[in-house]
Amino acid sequence: MADFLAGHAPTLTHWLVLTSALFSIGIYGMLTRRNAVGVLMSLELCLNAAAVNFVLFNRYLAPTNLGGAERLDGAVMTIFVIAVAAAEVVVGMAIFVAMYAERRTVDVTRLDALKD
Amino acid sequence: MLANALPTLVFYLLAAISLTLAWSVVTGRRILRAAVSLMGVLAASAGLYLLLDSPFLAGVQVLVYVGGIVVLLVFAVMLTRTTELLEDHPSRHRQVIGGAVALAFFGLSYCMMTAPAFANRALTALPKNDVAAIGRALLDTGENGYALPFEVVSLLLLAAMIGGIVIARKPAALVKSEAHHG
Amino acid sequence: MAPLSFVLTHAWLIPAIPLVSFLLVGLVLRPVSERLAGAVATLAVATSAGLSWLLAWDFLHLVPHGQPLPSLTPWSAMWLHFQDGFGISIGTLLDPISVMLLVVVTTVSTLVHLYSTGYMHGEPGYARYFAFLNLFTFSMLGLVLAPNLVQMYVCWELVGASSFFLIGFYFEKPSAVSASKKAFIVTRFADLGFFLGILVLGFYASQIHAGMTQDLHGLQPLDFAFLTRPDVLAQLAGLNVHFLGVGVLTLAAVLIYTGGAGKSAMFPLHIWLPDAMEGPTPVSALIHAATMVVAGVYLVARCFPIFATSGEALTVVMCVGAFTSLFAAVIGCTQDDIKRVLAFSTLSQLGYMMFALGVASFAHPLGYSAAMFHLFTHAFFKALLFLGAGSVIHAVHSNDIWHMGGLRKHMPVTHALFLIATLAIAGIYPFAGFFSKDEILAAALHSGHTVVFGVGLLVAGMTAFYMFRIYFVTFWGEPKSEHAHHAHESPWVMLGPMSFLGVLSIGAGFIPIPEWVQLPGSPAEHEGIDLAVAIPSTILALAGISLAWLLYGGAPDRANALVAKLGRVYTTIKAKFYFDELYLYVTHSLIFRFVAAPIAWFDRNVVDGAVNLSGWFTRTAGLLLGKLQTGQVQTYGSWLVSGAIAAVVVLWGVLKAGGN
Repeated sequence: MADFLAGHAPTLTHWLVLTSALFSIGIYGMLTRRNAVGVLMSLELCLNAAAVNFVLFNRYLAPTNLGGAERLDGAVMTIFVIAVAAAEVVVGMAIFVAMYAERRTVDVTRLDALKD
Repeated sequence: MLANALPTLVFYLLAAISLTLAWSVVTGRRILRAAVSLMGVLAASAGLYLLLDSPFLAGVQVLVYVGGIVVLLVFAVMLTRTTELLEDHPSRHRQVIGGAVALAFFGLSYCMMTAPAFANRALTALPKNDVAAIGRALLDTGENGYALPFEVVSLLLLAAMIGGIVIARKPAALVKSEAHHG
Repeated sequence: MAPLSFVLTHAWLIPAIPLVSFLLVGLVLRPVSERLAGAVATLAVATSAGLSWLLAWDFLHLVPHGQPLPSLTPWSAMWLHFQDGFGISIGTLLDPISVMLLVVVTTVSTLVHLYSTGYMHGEPGYARYFAFLNLFTFSMLGLVLAPNLVQMYVCWELVGASSFFLIGFYFEKPSAVSASKKAFIVTRFADLGFFLGILVLGFYASQIHAGMTQDLHGLQPLDFAFLTRPDVLAQLAGLNVHFLGVGVLTLAAVLIYTGGAGKSAMFPLHIWLPDAMEGPTPVSALIHAATMVVAGVYLVARCFPIFATSGEALTVVMCVGAFTSLFAAVIGCTQDDIKRVLAFSTLSQLGYMMFALGVASFAHPLGYSAAMFHLFTHAFFKALLFLGAGSVIHAVHSNDIWHMGGLRKHMPVTHALFLIATLAIAGIYPFAGFFSKDEILAAALHSGHTVVFGVGLLVAGMTAFYMFRIYFVTFWGEPKSEHAHHAHESPWVMLGPMSFLGVLSIGAGFIPIPEWVQLPGSPAEHEGIDLAVAIPSTILALAGISLAWLLYGGAPDRANALVAKLGRVYTTIKAKFYFDELYLYVTHSLIFRFVAAPIAWFDRNVVDGAVNLSGWFTRTAGLLLGKLQTGQVQTYGSWLVSGAIAAVVVLWGVLKAGGN
């Protein structure tokens, strides 16, 4: 068992398939969730998958000796993604609260003023 | 032997947890449960960061994502509570379209991710102290530094905070009338 | 030659000022102040007139006395450059005839502007009127200064358009609307010939231009200076290309003449000019008597070397001109509308100028100078006649001479000025018309065209007759209507310009135009008054006046008896030989039924069908695409992601294909 597992250590491809699957699930949620907060959560799934990808690429693909020092650009990007996600959730939540105060609903299928 | 087997086991375990919980995030009937599932997914991701030798990121993930963002989302759920959305039933039509698009995306990325260029990559070396390295990178004003984006992100956060307050606050007229009645 | 002075090098200012004023008055001042608009328009044209006089003075002093005046292009710029050796420039061409016409146009235009400030006072659309007068003045000056056929054609159409606007000035009157349309369509039809002429000439001239080896100093194929070079004309005449048995040069000249005939209302394209009298009277004076209608004569004079080299084309010009002058004079004897009589007399005089050009040749260039001389004098006395008629109409509120009568007591100044102009057009010494008419008749006689000379003499007598007919009926006898009883003299703002024209009608004959205007490269042929011509023409004119007095001087009994005796002949003439009816028959019964109706059917069913089909297609596509606009944010999201996926797939495919 342990041998089998050790022989099948995850490669970069496995990691990428995992994050792709997470991202796809996020897309599915974005396109089907009726509750706006649910849509936002699905979006968080996508962002999270992308953030993992940054670290992945940093670990597997980054040129290690750029300028003589190991680089952490992917990790830095992940921090930025988390920061942006936080900002986005703050604004998104504010919008939902305001929308709820105005329309008494956060059902995206009923928020179709764009049609007019 | 066990030291080599364990990460593999953990990876598949975390992957299974992530995918299951993610699925429940997007399909769960109750939005609050979905929020809890999301928390699980994000925590599992923190585990994935650990597997990738990035303990600092794992910490940030738990602190900011799990501790901050999900809590905020839960607040949002509470504040916009409607009886009609306690049970979230997307229409069949939308499920089909959403599923098709998501599958198409997955198919495409699968084709690309399994490209031979990615197949056999070894792990690259990491700096000894990743916290110190990240901190230096963020404050480095040189050619490969991130001082400017870092400052921009801090401005963005400030703007988002102010924007959140301005958007969510009740209109002045409403406040006045409520004060009158109260 | 003396160096060029400021006005000579900046001759473009003369048309530019009215253009700027047109834009200013039409776009800015019109809604602000009507009075200011009129004042600015008048001032602008007056400035141009002042510059023109200065320019004429400088131009006459460019060369020592006795030498032929030069032809120069002090300013020109490439406008359309098609290829090396074929471009079209805009510029100013100064030669004796263009300078002469500059002076005539700006002077008459200024006087008419001034007169109009009184005549049009209180009319609705006062400022619009002045804006269009400015536009016309600009276009006409641009036409006069044109150094090539294309600039001339553009301005030619512009004067046509401004004429259209001004004839239709009272656009709430159906007759004015149809008159303006008639004028526009007839002249436009004729301009088609002009355009074809330019194309024919341009095609062959550019070939010759390409084959020329000597330095042309930037001359383009369509420049008059190029087209009238003897070597170019010789090559054009030598071309062995024929169309319907006519050589290229003759064909081009006749086509160009068609345009000129339309503008100058030569038979059978004359039908628009009498109807054009629906416009305000000052407009008739400026456009349909003094300036625009002579554009045709000017065009033929400009291209005279082409016509003269062709010879046959010149014969066409002569025959049509002579016939028109006689034909219009006959009709002029019978009309009752004072402005229409003047219109027919304009036709007749234009015919005079045309046949004067027609009898001229390189060997006998007198007709050329004579035509220009007559153009010069005619502009002044005919403008005066129209302004006088306008003054009378202003007082009597009618165009019909039988509603007037006895006006010499009520309107003494108008009467005196109208008499001067009438004597001038009748050709009585020492009034202006005498000199130029004498010159034309002498040209006809000396070049051996005896028949034309006879026609000219006859027309001179008839002109005197019909002009004095309206003069006697209008100003003598008893007032024949209420308005005529209470007629008042016009204000001085109208009489002032008329008086100025009166002075010119007397004095213009003494200006030595024939000495200045000479056909380049031909012997001078001006010998002053020729008694062999002057005596018979004066006798005929006096006979015409006497006949008019006999028939219309007192009660019109004798005239009525004569009319009764003439019977059908008279009614036919009075109906203008039924030419309008003939045109109506041709257009309505033949062209409309057999050409226009099938085209209309085609238009309605095929063209409109295609248009409707495209409309239907757009509508349906819009309706279908509109269904995509659901307002459902998640639907939009699906499209977004699908689009992104599709874009990546395409990009991937392209990169892969590129990689292999």
